[in-house]
Amino acid sequence: MALGKIKADTLEHSTAGSLDTQYVVKGSAKAWAKFDTDAVIDEGFNSSSVTDNGTGDFSLSLTSSMSSSLYIALTTCGNAKHCQSSEGSRTSSLGKILTFDNSHNANDVNDLNITFNGDLA
Amino acid sequence: MQTPEFQGTHLFDRLCWAKENLDGVQSDYRVVYEDSIDECAKILVPDPNWMACALQGGILPPVQVYWELAKDEAKPDFVKHTRGHLLHNTKPVEAMTEEQAIEYLIMKDCPQHVWRNWNEGNKPKMVICRKEQLPSTREWRNAWKITEELSVTELAA
Repeated sequence: MALGKIKADTLEHSTAGSLDTQYVVKGSAKAWAKFDTDAVIDEGFNSSSVTDNGTGDFSLSLTSSMSSSLYIALTTCGNAKHCQSSEGSRTSSLGKILTFDNSHNANDVNDLNITFNGDLA
Repeated sequence: MQTPEFQGTHLFDRLCWAKENLDGVQSDYRVVYEDSIDECAKILVPDPNWMACALQGGILPPVQVYWELAKDEAKPDFVKHTRGHLLHNTKPVEAMTEEQAIEYLIMKDCPQHVWRNWNEGNKPKMVICRKEQLPSTREWRNAWKITEELSVTELAA
């Protein structure tokens, strides 16, 4: 199968103006995943595995690495619990998601979602 | 489906092709490992899209590429990757079996000190199992450990 290729620096709308394609490239999420506490990815892109590190502690490994560990990892989780991405052990190819109960104790929660925004290596 | 010639194509673009053309493969294998005696056992679960790429062949770079990038990142003066081209320009690996893919994934996503010395010490630090062999609930999750009664003979069996 041949891969088609369109090369363009700008996208232009008939009335709404134009947009540099770098905005699209730079602004798109580079990886994402949705999983539950069983660490089985229901929907995702550019990840190789999820690791269940313990209660409320999961990490996502990437296939195509980010350029450094300075990227944005956005997390959400279900059931009105709290979650955050952890910078402590973050690398260019691994991000962490921690989940807590309402008292900020580590706690398992389903419907974990994480996206990575930034530059790829 | 034939994989296009991908050497020199950005790995991200290859993954886009795979997402469009390959069905995800949910593996029943799990990798349980302990990387610290003070912490509970960790459980690694393969991504179905990644597994599809591994089984397809011609998409993923050799695992050694990730080791090179990890070495760069471990340097104290590391700012950002300057050898990312290794991911894109190194000849992709051929199709793997599911078992070979799990071995690759261990060498990619588990700490090296775990898998290089997995069977040194009083008990194995790492076990590949089926998901049915894991506890059915997450009760006392932070106390989960690989059993000390596990022997290499049993593993081989």
